[in-house]
Amino acid sequence: MSRSIKKGPFIAKSLYKKIVDQSKASKKQMIKTYSRTSTIIPEMVGLTISVYNGKTWVPVYVTEALVGHKLGEFAPTRMFRGHGGDKKSKR
Amino acid sequence: MARIAGIDLPNKHTEIALTYIYGIGRTTAREICEKTGIDPNVRIKELSTDDVAKLRKIIENDYKVEGRLRSEVALNIKRLMDIGCYRGLRHRKGLPVRGQRTKTNARTRKGKVKTVAKKKK
Repeated sequence: MSRSIKKGPFIAKSLYKKIVDQSKASKKQMIKTYSRTSTIIPEMVGLTISVYNGKTWVPVYVTEALVGHKLGEFAPTRMFRGHGGDKKSKR
Repeated sequence: MARIAGIDLPNKHTEIALTYIYGIGRTTAREICEKTGIDPNVRIKELSTDDVAKLRKIIENDYKVEGRLRSEVALNIKRLMDIGCYRGLRHRKGLPVRGQRTKTNARTRKGKVKTVAKKKK
């Protein structure tokens, strides 16, 4: 079920503040965030946001196509390295 | 035989026959019958050419079916894959997209079981 329109998209306050600050400052700097559940809003387009995946920060360059998704969708938390025996197909 | 949206409709009740078109289920079929004023229980062969033309017109104008619907679905999936989000990755790997377990089951997405030889002791 989708979120009520009245509430608007969810975005962590701390992250929102950083984004507003970023748009004022002309210099673009990477924003680091733990907030994977925050929705990507149009104001973020053009920014690069580093999203924590539990281990490292994954840089996500926000384009228009990503608006409406959540930040966490672009920073996978699990990495599948293949099963034991198949050495040939190891990446 | 009535041919609508590139599909030959079988000689069944109109309500059922319409569901042979991709994108039309029971609800939509009933809706179409209501809109065109055709009795949903009449068999396809008993429909007049006029009725068939009516059906064809309403389906072509008001509904997205067959090729156009298929391409829309494919495009939606392609969009997910292109932006590299989690759902897109799952589509790429051919694994379930909506968080189902994959330790067992998930055979619809994964295909037939590929048996792996047991470890030697």
